[in-house]
Amino acid sequence: MVTTAPHRSLRLLLASAVAVTPLAIGPTARAAGGEADGGDGNTVLTVAVSQSVDSLSPFLAQRLVSTSIHRLTYEYLTNYDAKDARTIPGLATSWKSSPDKLTWTYTIRENSRWSDGRRATAEDAAWTFTTMMTDENAATANGSFTANFEKVTAPDPRTLVIKLKKPQATMTALDVPIVPKHIWEKVGDFSKFNNDKRFPIVGNGPFVITDYKVDQYVKLKPNKTFWRGAPKFDELVLRYYKDGDAAVAALRKGEVSFVPNLTPAQATALRSAENIKVNDAPGRRFYALATNPGARAKDGGKFGSGHPALLDPAVRKALFHAVDRGTIVDKVFQGHAVEGEGYIPPRFGTYFWKPAAAQRIGHDPAKAEQLLDQAGYRRNGSGKRVGKDGRALDFRILCHATDPNDKAVGKYLQEWWGELGIGLKVDCLDNVSDPWAKGDYDLAFDGWSVNPDPDFVLSIHTCAALPATPKDTGATDNFICDKRYDELYARQAVEYDPAERADLVKRLQSRLYDTGYMNVMAYPNAVEAYRTDHIASITTMPADGGNIYGQDGYWSWWSARPAAASGDGDSGSSTGVWLVLGPAAAVLLAVGVLVAVRRRSTADDRE
Amino acid sequence: MTTTVGSPAGAARRPGTTATAYPRYLAGRLGGAAVSLLAVLVTSFFLFRVLPGDPVKAMTRGVPTSAGQMATLRRQFGLDLPLWQQFTDYCAKALTGDLGTSYQFRAPVGELIADKLPATLLLTGVAVVLYSAVGLWLGTRSAWRHGGLGDKLNTGVALTLWSVPSFWLGLLLIIVFSVGVGPVPGLFPTGGMESGDETGPAYVLDVAHHMVLPVLTLVAVGYAQTLLVMRASLLDEMGGDYLTTARAKGLRDDLVRRRHAVPNALLPTVTMIFINLGHVAAGSILVETVFSWPGLGGLFYQALSVPDLPLVQGLFVVFAGAMIVMNLLADLLYPLLDPRVGR
Amino acid sequence: MTSLTWTRRRASAARFWRQYRRQRAGAYGLVALALIALVALTAPLLVGGDVRSVTDAPGTALEAPSGRFPLGTDQFGRSLLGLLLWGARVSLAVGLLAAALSVAIGTLIGILAGHYGGWFATLAMRVTDWFLVMPSLVLAIVLATVMSRSVWTVVLAIGITSWPTTARLVRAQTIAVESRPYIERARALGGGHGHVMSRHVLPNVMPLVLSQTTLCISTAILTEATLAFLGLGDPTVVSWGGMLQDAREAGAVSSGHWWYLAPPGIAIAVVALAFTLCGRAIESVLNPKLGAGR
Repeated sequence: MVTTAPHRSLRLLLASAVAVTPLAIGPTARAAGGEADGGDGNTVLTVAVSQSVDSLSPFLAQRLVSTSIHRLTYEYLTNYDAKDARTIPGLATSWKSSPDKLTWTYTIRENSRWSDGRRATAEDAAWTFTTMMTDENAATANGSFTANFEKVTAPDPRTLVIKLKKPQATMTALDVPIVPKHIWEKVGDFSKFNNDKRFPIVGNGPFVITDYKVDQYVKLKPNKTFWRGAPKFDELVLRYYKDGDAAVAALRKGEVSFVPNLTPAQATALRSAENIKVNDAPGRRFYALATNPGARAKDGGKFGSGHPALLDPAVRKALFHAVDRGTIVDKVFQGHAVEGEGYIPPRFGTYFWKPAAAQRIGHDPAKAEQLLDQAGYRRNGSGKRVGKDGRALDFRILCHATDPNDKAVGKYLQEWWGELGIGLKVDCLDNVSDPWAKGDYDLAFDGWSVNPDPDFVLSIHTCAALPATPKDTGATDNFICDKRYDELYARQAVEYDPAERADLVKRLQSRLYDTGYMNVMAYPNAVEAYRTDHIASITTMPADGGNIYGQDGYWSWWSARPAAASGDGDSGSSTGVWLVLGPAAAVLLAVGVLVAVRRRSTADDRE
Repeated sequence: MTTTVGSPAGAARRPGTTATAYPRYLAGRLGGAAVSLLAVLVTSFFLFRVLPGDPVKAMTRGVPTSAGQMATLRRQFGLDLPLWQQFTDYCAKALTGDLGTSYQFRAPVGELIADKLPATLLLTGVAVVLYSAVGLWLGTRSAWRHGGLGDKLNTGVALTLWSVPSFWLGLLLIIVFSVGVGPVPGLFPTGGMESGDETGPAYVLDVAHHMVLPVLTLVAVGYAQTLLVMRASLLDEMGGDYLTTARAKGLRDDLVRRRHAVPNALLPTVTMIFINLGHVAAGSILVETVFSWPGLGGLFYQALSVPDLPLVQGLFVVFAGAMIVMNLLADLLYPLLDPRVGR
Repeated sequence: MTSLTWTRRRASAARFWRQYRRQRAGAYGLVALALIALVALTAPLLVGGDVRSVTDAPGTALEAPSGRFPLGTDQFGRSLLGLLLWGARVSLAVGLLAAALSVAIGTLIGILAGHYGGWFATLAMRVTDWFLVMPSLVLAIVLATVMSRSVWTVVLAIGITSWPTTARLVRAQTIAVESRPYIERARALGGGHGHVMSRHVLPNVMPLVLSQTTLCISTAILTEATLAFLGLGDPTVVSWGGMLQDAREAGAVSSGHWWYLAPPGIAIAVVALAFTLCGRAIESVLNPKLGAGR
């Protein structure tokens, strides 16, 4: 799901392939790479990212890297506490709902200013939401938050009133960047405006975007008037690396200060490196096996080519029993993961749920054999399990070709299930969405990042998320449609009491576990590393042993403190000067030889 | 990738024209190129419609998205229209030079390509020029002393490097010269095109510094072809009677070589260099991937994984277009350069 | 076929072999290929299929080379030496099959276009031209993306994108052969199209096809590695390109695990080089004017 990184405006003039006379028009910060201490004392924090920015417009941006940038540059109504991810004030200082649960009133803070000096008011927020409700192009990225809004008004600069069509539990988790009305009301077509032509980009978050080159970097400067206090670094640069290894190498050399998404081998190697701290934190993703429950649409139409044997709960249970989650954590993730239990990762303590001993499907190959025998799937002459209909248990599993974990776990599943007499074909595709949406799969590797508010990841298993007809695509994850699950889901969606809601969410997970269509194998950790000679301290989320990149909030980069003047780390540019002469010399040499040859030939002509 | 050593694709297509027939030949070639270009435009549309994956589903995966938002995206991209209408829209736009709007970047495809093209041209252009120069030089030397130790060493090394996967060589170079192994310090940047904070002459040096390893990779893997073709055609020429005549006239040995053999032998090589230049746009996908070079190769790869159809189509047209134009140039230049035709 | 033709064919084969042996580089290439082929064929005996098993992997993740694991281990703890030997099977098979497919398509189209001429030849050559201007790696990537991940996909992707060169060469040769007088005689004696093409043209273009195939294999092996490296191969099959991809995904580059990265690349280079040497040797035996061996 992690795709690739940054955007637009490479203005390299170039006459021909040979004559190179590039003119640089850009900022003149002298500090090299990710060095904390540049020539003029400018402290720069460079973060390696592996995703390209899809758009800098908050109305369009969907990728993690872009939404993280928006977190840094625009205030949202509410924020999440770095300690425990509970909702805390953002642009709004307080909020309350009416007794009928349909009207929410937010008080907007007075001390938040746009970087062009104007005050950020309730009017900006009302305009942002109203635009998303009235212009479908502006709803591209975050429309799901406003779909249930009836009307949004700003009776005065400090008050924002949102009227709902029906109660909505996510009202304190509206992850929508509020943009300055006076800038954005001039935008004509929101589907084409990328917000990346005029720098600095006006915002009211802790940072301001000052420069951006597609697939190269995004540069941000601290917002000195940020109400929570300005960030400590003089500049934040998100630098794009297509290749994870290149990013790690850059970290080792001090070209960047921070690298996320490390592989186990990289983490092990970096542990012993000087001045580098590896941060191994609980992740926000679950990594699961999904079985095709028989793809269907809301109109009752069935489609897809899921293996019928998977409709038998015994077969699914046997498959899950044969999975050794411990080995997956130890071997595939090499310890950088937590064994899977319920649906929501333990990082979100309020909602985390574990199966009770009676319902738990643990690693037990013998039990799996027994279940299959009892259900009538006997081994044939060649040791293969065959159903009563004579069809062998040969399954396909959809795997993301870009995810090494899918491929690795696929190898283990092949062997574990092979011992049960069940065949498995690992179908790796760049783009699994097509067979997935068509229901043309038996099993699939599934995984979602969970937000502090779990509403969305829960909603994708409701009947309402199924496609309308077999020809449509729905928001459904895995075609699960279960009455009892839906009842519980509907109740939590309108429950405004946090404790009550948490309880309902846990019961939802229990129900999902018992349907037996999905089995969470692991919660992969967020493994990242930073240079301690660049960054003296940084806030993780949760504050105790949490992660740094992709937080729900701007805590990490806002809080990062530069390390006291670092001595070395400039190996790149100092030795580089004479080395760059290498290629130049090569070109000169080639030209020289040609000239010499020509000269000689004309000389010969003269003789 | 598929042109085999020793048999350049262009060598099979020498036009047997005379000077008087040149205008007709010219018209024929131009017409052919135009037809090819048109065929590429049309086929690129249909070729990529078979790509699996729903762009909208793929783009919104992992992001909370409602069915309504997906419908909006589909409408924005024109994916809700019937295929024939998408095709006529595409054709009408393509004829006016508009290649459509990228799904994932929300920007005109032409603009995106124009943004990335200089980086790719810079990298591969420099590499092609360098490896052509190296190949010509070593090929000439090899042919002149053919059968000797130098020749054997020359061809041997060239063939070995040619057999090495370029991405692998790139990775090894990164390990050795970028990460640093043992006593070797990390001399070069690990990837990218610039540090992002240099201006003026320092910027040029900075870009050059970033280019060293990728160019080295491309040159090492690429020069064998030029070398072998140059060597073979020079050996061919040296068997020619006119050389003996030239020698008999008392011309000095290296003069014979430079004035007679080399110019003639250059022809097939020049054709091949043009074909290599045609590969410039598409040729460095691997090296761009390994070195995080911000060029067209990386853009293509990103576009393919969505699939970002307008962008994939646009890039394909550019890749194939470059080949067509360079082939055309080679075809047009050939009769002009060939002394046996023109003089 | 008469015994006379057999004797003649055998004699020419013997002559060919005598001349081939004189090509030193070609001989080295052949020896290297024989050795590698032997390893590939006997891999099940040498290392056993168990070497691929992840659940029974003997070592721990990413061990450095040692007495027990001469080339170290991969991220699952499997012996890299064993995988390297096993990988020869897939890499060689894919190279051979893809080259065979490519040359077969090229030869068929080349002979047909050369023999029939007319509008068919024009059309065939237009298609060939179209494929020639297509960046073949780009096309192969697209094909491999479209189809599901398997060894056959890779074979098809390489085969379908790399035939045009062969088609052009074979067509030229076919035209040359058909202008010879004895073809005229064969036609006069009532030989149909099929007869002329299979009995006269095909045997005459065979040598060219042979050298073309050999050269094609090394390209195919490199392309296979490239596609696997780009993640377009079958991840459940052990091949050299796949090993490089695994190494990269495991982060071997930045961790400095050169022993994981170096051997598969060297193996690819050696095989590609060996095929190239053989191909060039065959070429120069058949056509001494090419000067490859001089």
